[in-house]
Amino acid sequence: MYTSVTNRRSFIKKMAMMSAMTAAATMFPGIMFAAEQEKGLPKGGNLDWKKGPCRFCGVGCGILVGIENGKAVAVKGDPNSSVNKGLLCVKGYHQTMCIQSKDRLEYALVKKNGKYVKTPLSDALDLVASKMKETIEKHGKDAVAMYTSGQSTIPEGYVASKFMKGAIGTNNLDCNARLCMASAVTGFLTTFGADEPMGCYEDFNHADYYITWGNNMAEMHPVLFSRMLEQKNNRGAKIIDFATRTTRSSMAANKSILFEPQTDLAVGNAICYEIINNGWVNKSFVEKYCNFSKGLTKMGYGTEDNYKFKDKPEKINFEEYKAFLDDYTPEKVAKYSKVSVKNIKYLASIYGDPNKKIMSLWCMGVNQHTRGTWMNNIIYNIHLLTGKISQPGNSPFSLTGQPSACGTAREVGTFTHKLPHGVVMNKKDREMAARIWKVPVEKIPAKPTYHTTEMFRAVDRGDIKFLWAQVVNPLVSLPRTSRYRPGMEKDSCFVVVSDVFPTPTTDVADVILPASWHIEKSGLYGNSERRTQHWDKMVEGPGETTPDAWMTIEVAKRMGYGDLFQYSEENHVEEIYNEYRQFHEGKKHNMAPLEVLKAQSGAIWPYVDGKSTQWRFNAKYDPACSNGEDFHFYGKKDGKAVIWQRPYEPAAESPDKEYPFWLNTGRVIEHWHTGSMTRRIPVLHKAMPHSYVEFHPDDAKVLGLRNGENVKVSSRRGSCILPASINERGLPTKGQVFVPFFDENMLINDTTLDAFCPISKEPDYKKCAVKVEKA
Amino acid sequence: MKKRLGIISLFIMLFIAFITVWNFSYQIGKEEGYVPVTKEKAHLPVIPSEKGVFMRFNQGLDYSNMPVDENHQRSLKTYYNNRAYHGAPPSIPHKVISERNMGENSCLKCHENGGFTEKFNAYAPVSPHPELVNCRQCHVPQKTERLFKGFKQSKFKAPKAGVNNALVTSPPVIPHQLQLRENCLACHAGPSAPKEIRVSHPERINCRQCHVPNSKVTKNIDAFLRKTKTNE
Amino acid sequence: MPIKSYLAHPHDGKKEELIKAISSIEQCEVMPAQNENLLVVVTDTLDELADKKLAEEIEAIDSLKLLALVSGFNTPINK
Repeated sequence: MYTSVTNRRSFIKKMAMMSAMTAAATMFPGIMFAAEQEKGLPKGGNLDWKKGPCRFCGVGCGILVGIENGKAVAVKGDPNSSVNKGLLCVKGYHQTMCIQSKDRLEYALVKKNGKYVKTPLSDALDLVASKMKETIEKHGKDAVAMYTSGQSTIPEGYVASKFMKGAIGTNNLDCNARLCMASAVTGFLTTFGADEPMGCYEDFNHADYYITWGNNMAEMHPVLFSRMLEQKNNRGAKIIDFATRTTRSSMAANKSILFEPQTDLAVGNAICYEIINNGWVNKSFVEKYCNFSKGLTKMGYGTEDNYKFKDKPEKINFEEYKAFLDDYTPEKVAKYSKVSVKNIKYLASIYGDPNKKIMSLWCMGVNQHTRGTWMNNIIYNIHLLTGKISQPGNSPFSLTGQPSACGTAREVGTFTHKLPHGVVMNKKDREMAARIWKVPVEKIPAKPTYHTTEMFRAVDRGDIKFLWAQVVNPLVSLPRTSRYRPGMEKDSCFVVVSDVFPTPTTDVADVILPASWHIEKSGLYGNSERRTQHWDKMVEGPGETTPDAWMTIEVAKRMGYGDLFQYSEENHVEEIYNEYRQFHEGKKHNMAPLEVLKAQSGAIWPYVDGKSTQWRFNAKYDPACSNGEDFHFYGKKDGKAVIWQRPYEPAAESPDKEYPFWLNTGRVIEHWHTGSMTRRIPVLHKAMPHSYVEFHPDDAKVLGLRNGENVKVSSRRGSCILPASINERGLPTKGQVFVPFFDENMLINDTTLDAFCPISKEPDYKKCAVKVEKA
Repeated sequence: MKKRLGIISLFIMLFIAFITVWNFSYQIGKEEGYVPVTKEKAHLPVIPSEKGVFMRFNQGLDYSNMPVDENHQRSLKTYYNNRAYHGAPPSIPHKVISERNMGENSCLKCHENGGFTEKFNAYAPVSPHPELVNCRQCHVPQKTERLFKGFKQSKFKAPKAGVNNALVTSPPVIPHQLQLRENCLACHAGPSAPKEIRVSHPERINCRQCHVPNSKVTKNIDAFLRKTKTNE
Repeated sequence: MPIKSYLAHPHDGKKEELIKAISSIEQCEVMPAQNENLLVVVTDTLDELADKKLAEEIEAIDSLKLLALVSGFNTPINK
């Protein structure tokens, strides 16, 4: 074989250099040569960087993805994004690695005789459309359902809503944001009449105190937590961690206060009691801008099928509210909350100090709560009583879990009762939707049907005979999967699952559709601070993978609704967004035009006169305020926010003799939700290979448990075996155990309880009773 | 004769009864004293403890403002040279004040917070576990260079710096164990940190937001495997 | 055509100077270590004589403390 002399020479030269480097390495262990370090790594300078939002949590960090030869090879924080200013968390930095997983779903699979057969996508979509049509003809419109996600893009959510509500004419559409943000929504609607936070992340730069209610931001919202730490270090801002578990956040906080599960309601009321009885109420603010109301109590917990509840609000006055709070003196509350009187008074004094700016931050601890709506109301009560709201640094801030729980689930409205603007119960909102969708208004039913838990109960009962799950993994994430897994396995329901990777949910599917991942399609997400962010497709997906929005459109076309979905395959994201924007025209919710979103790292709605509105309801910043006063809570007709009288009520299931422990579930920093993406990223899997059950050391001692020993956690509904973890990542209070839910091989949700908040219908994953024994 | 036989058989019976009873009670006694030898299954933790994650918080801020003293910095080489293998407790490379002292009165004077020492013309390395004050339990001085008998040092692979990131721009993983070294800033920041592993951003104290451990603590971590599998 | 590789130790603080000096010689390739006071030098000359001369030339550089030969290859031309 011919080898050129020059090549051979350069080869020998390389050999010579290698041997010299080896010799150097024996003399100096750890020696590094510039060229060696670059070996095998793509040259940073040649990368093509494309902007977008992160795929994972609701913080909505801006990312830049480095593309080389059509492959994503690097991720860095977007320095132009005001959200994260160039910083990401470990999940964010490694996110694109999941698409290289070997078990990627690249083609459609159809179950035939118990086996999955690779099928051309167009045939699989034919089958989905014909099944759906057949089911509607045989059993009616309400026998088909679609279950989507707070991780769907805005166009994906929009076409799902238009398809189900506008084309087919059923409200059988709900999404997994029901499991994470529903209580936040009902909290906003009951108190302010308008969803989503009034403030924005800029508040972090102004607040003197950050009080976190039952959340572990260091792990779940790490980039925002880093912003807090920065302010703590630079300005001396203080972090107070109020929780049921000692976590990384508690370690970094100035003060950590622990409470008994469910008693946050009482402590919140005790803080209001202190504020009123110490004369810390901002009287002029409350008189001008607040009403007082009470609702029904002893609502139940929704654990039975077909449970219905409707609140009956009733106006009260300040004196009645004050009298109600007499049950919540710090002394009375300290007894069952296990928070000392001193600490309750301390918390109240911070809120009550007129010279201190305060941000309250919360997420799943408050939302996944059988009284989640109440708990949201109570935090707003504290901020309204003291007038600390809608100003830079004074901000009750409801953090979001998913990347587009705000943008898609809440704003587009992929819930059974929602429309892109307003709710199905409202005639005007239905008329608006009918006009923009170009369908007769009678097509859109006025009655909401199934919320998530009830939807899967209906599948189990056999009422729903066709279910399409998109961007979601309910058989890991639902509460009480021990009931809903056998429910979905039943032949009575035809199950279609669109996903990127196989999951326990695709395992029960009749048809599996191969979805494009994040950067393999264009899209828009909306984060916690009302920021809408756009990204363009960055790389090609493998095989027949297709964007979810386009698969929905293809099925709609096959069912004869082509007229309503006249979008082009290349440009559908843009066309859909422009159609959707019409729903939110006006000063209260205008969305930024796509050109703006393409040019900059997102924009906050209401986007009015080319400007993001950072603080709503404050006349200084919000052009929608029209009452001539400093503040205008225009979500309510009379422009006033509501202070709600909400009592303490016990949890749906509390520990007893047989089941003596509270079970709390949650996340860890390394994994995103059910782990279907993050567990396929080697760095993250190696850092957190499986789930575990955390004990308080005292409980572990009584049980004779050692670290790593297998433990069986069982409830009245099911059981799960996990290794014990004592004094590692977190430390639950005595009598409580904590389990991360990401691990599909250790399904803790088999044991959780499907009790929910009667107002929001959001399940409580943080409290049920279990027993533990060595396995 | 018959009478004698009767007495003898009576004694024999008594004797047999005695043997049986004694034997029985002996066995019982043995059982009571018996402690079953069960094999202790090794239960090994997988995730490292969080203790000390935010220790040295304030130093992190000081470090970020401190200019680098290039003439007196340690290198990874000297760092590794001072211990028998990667992960071993470093030996004490200098004379100690007193042989009869607990850490807080001696070692920790310099090794809790570090600082420049004229005598050694170097910055004192900072201990990641200052709460363990019986320093000499693990750290011993080296009083002689000579060996008792010849010794063949087996090679160990110490992690290298600069090669631990999965993607070009991703933060490096933690290539070493965290036991007794949960506090990152002790070794990765400040003037005594080996220059190759000194962090460029010590003020970002929430290290494990971006850097996660990548080494098995005790057992191998296999790739993620699904228990159930979608058959094709 | 000999090809040789060396480890070159510069005097303290004169690493940059040495890199400059050696890389200015046509037949030399230099790779400095990032974290040690050490360079790898690869020389490529036409014949033994030129090689000897080059080695002397390098040895004469002021900033060089020590030059250590690591490996040498000799490839005949056109074979």
